[in-house]
Amino acid sequence: MNRSSAHLPLNLAKYRNVPNILMAVGGALAALGFFVNREQFAFSWLLAFMFFLSLGLGALFLVLVHHLFDAAWSVPIRRISEQLSTILFPTMALLFLPIAFLAPQVYPWMREPHPELDHALHAKYPLFTMSGFYVTSALCFLIWWWLSSNLRGWSLKQDQTGGALPTYKLRRYSCVGIILFAVTLTLGAVMWMKALMHEWFSTMYGVYYFAGSVWMTLATVYVITMVLDRQKVLSNILHANQYYYIGSLLFAFTVFYAYIHFSQYFIIWNANMPEETFWYLAREKGSWFYVGIVIIFGHFFIPFLGLLRIDVKSVFPYMLAICVWAWLMHFVDLSFNIMPILHPQGFVLHWLDLGCWAFMTGLVATVFLKKFAAHPPYPLKDPRLSEALGLYHAMPDSFSAADLSPQHGRQGGK
Amino acid sequence: MNASSTPYGIIAEFSNTASLLHAAEKVRDAGFRKWDVFTPFPVHGMDQAMGLRNSKVGWFTFIGGVTGYTTGMIMIWWMNAVDYPLVVGGKPMFSPFHAFPPSYELTILFGAFGSLFGMMFLNRLPRLHHPLLKHRQFAQVTHDKFFIVIECADPKYSETETKKLLEHAGSPRIEMVEE
Repeated sequence: MNRSSAHLPLNLAKYRNVPNILMAVGGALAALGFFVNREQFAFSWLLAFMFFLSLGLGALFLVLVHHLFDAAWSVPIRRISEQLSTILFPTMALLFLPIAFLAPQVYPWMREPHPELDHALHAKYPLFTMSGFYVTSALCFLIWWWLSSNLRGWSLKQDQTGGALPTYKLRRYSCVGIILFAVTLTLGAVMWMKALMHEWFSTMYGVYYFAGSVWMTLATVYVITMVLDRQKVLSNILHANQYYYIGSLLFAFTVFYAYIHFSQYFIIWNANMPEETFWYLAREKGSWFYVGIVIIFGHFFIPFLGLLRIDVKSVFPYMLAICVWAWLMHFVDLSFNIMPILHPQGFVLHWLDLGCWAFMTGLVATVFLKKFAAHPPYPLKDPRLSEALGLYHAMPDSFSAADLSPQHGRQGGK
Repeated sequence: MNASSTPYGIIAEFSNTASLLHAAEKVRDAGFRKWDVFTPFPVHGMDQAMGLRNSKVGWFTFIGGVTGYTTGMIMIWWMNAVDYPLVVGGKPMFSPFHAFPPSYELTILFGAFGSLFGMMFLNRLPRLHHPLLKHRQFAQVTHDKFFIVIECADPKYSETETKKLLEHAGSPRIEMVEE
């Protein structure tokens, strides 16, 4: 296995200014767009927002499942997800403000003069009211704040105390958290993305956004782990199997996403009811049809076949290409969800899409790097760290029979 | 049954996994090809210690899966759109969407066949008898003993040298196995 730590560390100092440049250029473009073309700005901003919301939620999910499964292998990479998940609050909450202000220009249902006459709004009462929208949005961010800050906070506390209490606390937060996560992620996907066509309904929609989100997050975590390994930050606690496991999860979520999206499409296609089919019909007009084809092949077939072999999951240049591709495909997928409302005639890559995206990339990168640098790069005193290091195989001759006697057994066992 | 005394190979017993792992590394480094390790339970790191490469069964699974998928698609297209065209629910005669679930199931089925029969083919199974089964001490492999067996058919095999190698590797008990 050719680990990236086998090479000399990269000189990353010269890239130090890249996030600032992205923020400055992207911010300038976004600000210009705000005055020149406000509607396009709102949609481009929403697209970039949903993209990085995916990253925060995906990271939160990885932390939650780590504790729920009491996993050992992911201990060395958990801090990456913990820090990534805290971009949900306040960073993403602040980035939501322009959407909150421009909501009536983005969501057609808010412009409905007689909402009481619209059956789709009536059926979803009181969720699809102005107060429903803002209360739900605030609630989502509050829950994400509570979860991500506690999951990160208790983990950092364990670095100092080394006690067992944080581990128990983290498990409790995760038990409650996974349910709150499922509800809030679904609400976020429904209120901010699906509500662009509020007459439509799909029980798959929350899971669909979730599958794509975790997929792109795994790609991100893979690349960050790879870089930290090369920079000798994590090289002493990583094994080859961490890469293989993240790669396998990436593969699993490639399939899971395709399964969810196919199921959503297939059920609607098969039932053939106008109140459901119009969402996909709008996405078969003009060049959106080809975007759909790109998603089928680019979001599923290419990464599926590309990740099928067991050994490629640890080939770094290859995986880097797959991970960059995953970011691109997630962007295209979200564009497929959001943009047909603004550009029904076909796919348009507007300069504002790139501007808003660049601004948020720079901002999220800055926030993440600052947080990550301020604390130890992995949970220093996690009880399962030694297991992750592969130090748990007791050899039969490494202890004597006296160790197994009742007096000593308590101390010897874990 | 002829009472033949053709030697099959050389069997070395080990009493724990650590000495077995180190012995396997020595045999691997000596360049043997026709040899195997037998243990009562999976031993972590044994694949590397033996220098085993990734199994080829995956290729049989992949080819089985691709065959299943194309068989499903062609079968449904032929039956619904060519041989006996029938409109069902106003749908097109053939669409990759309605043909997908059965094709996907055939992918799984043929993939599983590929795995099973590929594994049996690569392991030369089924096989009714194996020389090791005659060896009395070998029955301990399901209990608490570990074994390395090097076949006489190996080009590197030499009765004295191979025995010496296994002795150096720390085996307390080395015997010949007959065909």
